[in-house]
Amino acid sequence: MEVVSYGDFSRELHQKVMGERVPTEATIEVTRRCPLTCAHCYNNLPMNDAEARRTELSYEEHCRILDELADLGCLWLLFTGGEIFARPDFLDIYTYAKRKGFLITLFTNGTLITERVADYLMDWPPFSIEITLYGRTRETYEKLTGIKGSFDRCLRGINLLKERNLPLKLKTVAVTTNAHEIFSMKQFAESELGLEFKFDAMMSPRIDCSQSPLGVRLTPEEVVELDLQDAQRVAEWQRFAKQFNGPVHKSDESDEIYHCGGGISSFSVDPQGRMSICVLSHSDTYDLRRGSVREGWQDFLLKVRRKKATMLTKCRACEIKALCGMCPANGELESGHAEKPVDFLCSVAHLRGQLMGFAPPPHGECEYCEGGSKHEELMASVERLRKRDRERAGALQSRNRYLPVLTATAGAGGCSSGGCSSLH
Amino acid sequence: MSVLEKSFIKADDLMARNIAGETLIVPIRNRVGDLSSIYTLNEVGARVWQMIDPSRSVNQIVETISDEYDVARAEAARDVVELLDSMESAGLIRSIAEG
Repeated sequence: MEVVSYGDFSRELHQKVMGERVPTEATIEVTRRCPLTCAHCYNNLPMNDAEARRTELSYEEHCRILDELADLGCLWLLFTGGEIFARPDFLDIYTYAKRKGFLITLFTNGTLITERVADYLMDWPPFSIEITLYGRTRETYEKLTGIKGSFDRCLRGINLLKERNLPLKLKTVAVTTNAHEIFSMKQFAESELGLEFKFDAMMSPRIDCSQSPLGVRLTPEEVVELDLQDAQRVAEWQRFAKQFNGPVHKSDESDEIYHCGGGISSFSVDPQGRMSICVLSHSDTYDLRRGSVREGWQDFLLKVRRKKATMLTKCRACEIKALCGMCPANGELESGHAEKPVDFLCSVAHLRGQLMGFAPPPHGECEYCEGGSKHEELMASVERLRKRDRERAGALQSRNRYLPVLTATAGAGGCSSGGCSSLH
Repeated sequence: MSVLEKSFIKADDLMARNIAGETLIVPIRNRVGDLSSIYTLNEVGARVWQMIDPSRSVNQIVETISDEYDVARAEAARDVVELLDSMESAGLIRSIAEG
């Protein structure tokens, strides 16, 4: 018997299944109901939404799907919502999944975690549990969630899990409401609690087509300014860029529209049992109430995954596309078209490229590249960001602290949806 | 009692998973094994795991492995005992006094 560290095991297994199309990762949205009413959320519904309650998969249906997932070789399982604990039977579903031997990650806002729930999780520990913290202060947190008392309930949840030494991580979504508290949240998580913290500013419209979350979305300049204030984050983008960016050769070009792990090693199931490439993708779904997970995976999702491009876009020859959040799901949500480039994502990727040292050479009819209609605007933004970065560095140096100043150019994006890269 | 006469029982709350041809032993409750580690078994190890049962002695497991994998009995005994030792140390199995 070999006892291996988790990291080595994960790397080896991923290498082993590469190219084999094994669904090692699945995301299950158990409900979209949530006690919070966050303005930025892409899928939340009220707790008492009668239609949602009526149509959600039952415990028995979840068990059947989990049996089939295990048989297909799925190991990493993410339960997300809505709010997972909004379902009174969530711990029953969770326990069934635990007994099947999945490595389970839980995404929660923490507000429904009581002593009873925390004790239970201590007995049946998840592989990982991530709580989203929406603000460092009560005022900001509750301005975003819209629910009085939710800040204290979230902190209670965090403390209950931390006291029990559960594998907890904190994260947030950066929006106009809380952008000023991102780094105090990071400080709180990392220094005060000793927990890992991450944030993401890439938001999409709601899956019901409402554009309302975009009302609190940061501008591309604001998104990248947050990156620049975190030397570690800049270094991570640069490392990622070095690994995945590069000239696009004809032979590398695939005419398939999906380039992520969706449909290759992962997929999602929504609260009504519809299987899709990922939590954001809703144009092609397979009804698990009418067919098996195996049929959905082997036949339906394979066809979805092999969908061919129908138009030539500027993304095709873009050297930083690996780092951009552009994907068919984001295209569908933003513009109703899977292949139409999303301007917001393109702008963020090019800004990162210019400021972090990996600006792409001109490609196709890209507005953000030299000669393009938005290039001048982009470079003005770059100059503003550099200037503010120098000012911040100057202020820090005057306090005898060191922070590298970004003088060179250059970026990235990546998928921010629930399941893509969160499981391991 | 010789180790070959012993039999073993698997700890409760463990699950063996076969993922991409690899057998993993996943502890599912806090009091079993070490949740930060992953226990992997090769083909022979997976076969031994399958046979661990209070009604089956180590001797019987050794015989089966020796037959199925065409290895000398002494070699099979050494490997099986070593594997069972490491499983017992990790808290994945425990011996039953009267095999």
